[in-house]
Amino acid sequence: MLSNAFSIASRIINQLIRDRRTIMLIIIAPLLIASIVGVSTPDKRMLDYTAPAILAMLILFFGFILTGISFQRERSQGTLERLMAAPVSRLDIVSGYLMGFLLFALAQTLIIFFYMVYVLDINFQGELWQIIIFQAIIGIGAVCLGTFTSTFARNEFQIMQFVPIVILPQFFLCGLLWPVSELPEYLQWIAKFLPLTYGVDGIRAMMLEGENLLGVIKEVGILAAFAAGFVVLASLTLRRGTSG
Amino acid sequence: MEKPDMPERDNDNAVAVEKLTFRYGKLSVIDDLSLEIPAGTSFGLLGPNGSGKTTLIRLLVGLLKPAAGNIRCLGRTPTSANARQRGYMPQLHSLYTELTVRQNIDFFARIYGLRDREQRQSRVDEVIKLVDLWDRRKTQIMHLSGGMKQRVSLGCAIVHNPPLLFLDEPTVGLDPDVRVSFWDYFESLTQGGSTIIISSHTMDDASHCQKLIFLRQGKIIALGTPEELRSAPGKANATLEDAFLHFIRRSEEGQNAE
Repeated sequence: MLSNAFSIASRIINQLIRDRRTIMLIIIAPLLIASIVGVSTPDKRMLDYTAPAILAMLILFFGFILTGISFQRERSQGTLERLMAAPVSRLDIVSGYLMGFLLFALAQTLIIFFYMVYVLDINFQGELWQIIIFQAIIGIGAVCLGTFTSTFARNEFQIMQFVPIVILPQFFLCGLLWPVSELPEYLQWIAKFLPLTYGVDGIRAMMLEGENLLGVIKEVGILAAFAAGFVVLASLTLRRGTSG
Repeated sequence: MEKPDMPERDNDNAVAVEKLTFRYGKLSVIDDLSLEIPAGTSFGLLGPNGSGKTTLIRLLVGLLKPAAGNIRCLGRTPTSANARQRGYMPQLHSLYTELTVRQNIDFFARIYGLRDREQRQSRVDEVIKLVDLWDRRKTQIMHLSGGMKQRVSLGCAIVHNPPLLFLDEPTVGLDPDVRVSFWDYFESLTQGGSTIIISSHTMDDASHCQKLIFLRQGKIIALGTPEELRSAPGKANATLEDAFLHFIRRSEEGQNAE
């Protein structure tokens, strides 16, 4: 039943492997960001507090950007149209994309995680496999958010224009830079509707306090609900904006 | 109770279209069009840019939903569930530029249901040879010329041996010798019983088709064999271009009379 989705996922993996610049971006850029955060953060305790949030932020950012641009290219180059004329369902396409990009997003998570723990020496209490699952839930939402947003972009540049609207507000309001409780009340209210808020809360609890997935079940549930919503939106809007 | 969507022959027609209408917003792109395409023929959709050729093909492959009317392809309403019956070569190259010739054709072979690895590989090899790109099979699409990309695109459309093939301007940008080899191949397909529907705005393509329609503003202004259409202007040695202009004038006169 999922054979078409696997075919699409393996095609995406093949494409990314052959695109060396993107591979370098996936690996080098987050390491650079992590290094800057590591070097510029004045004390160790603050770094312990910021590093997990960076992990959640990066999977959201790169999942969104990579999928948004790739999907927009599929639309503008006509490959999505060709795929839609073939015996594949919307769910095949969305789940194929999910599997393909999630693999890279999780590989990226692992690289940054080991870099943070072993090079930047941040405090780490939880279990790695549980952190990977938690990151995967954020990643599913990010990939489908990118797919959905690409519907409204006419070219790759326009995907970048969505970053200040879709991603940046989440950075500032999710508790990455300062606690959500210190924000004005109306911003705290907005923060409740942003997935990264729950991503940052959950991963901090896991990495700093050693919580397992059950301990952050509220965050897991809300992130899963966001992810499911974005999967539905991505599937429903798939036909819009194909070329021609 | 709704009738199940079972395959059936529409009196040996590969495609039957009845009172088809499609609009982009308020603009009517296909206007109350009816058409029957016999199985085993090469059928040309001719018309200037914007006449509705691409929209008609996209309707026939199920990419667009009509505002009104019926479409039957090999007896079925075109959906993704019966898409294996059809091959589609879009106007754009529509290929994955980072992947090689082989990877592109192999991907579409898998998507169109060629699951057995050995059978698929042998079919993909056969198609690569057919489109004369064996020496380039490991080359990424981004390093190919426009004509070569066009050949890969054809390969992706025919890899699953569809009985019904839709080709949207397949010969654009091809060298004359490649164009001849494309047409030789199309003729071999129709001799084998396949039906080919080709859109084009070049009269050279039109002359190769067994049957043609001239499209203008989403309406059929003429239908017939190339010989029948050429004889319509009533002058010796008339070309298909003369015939097209003749039918345009006639349709304009008809509109003015209304």
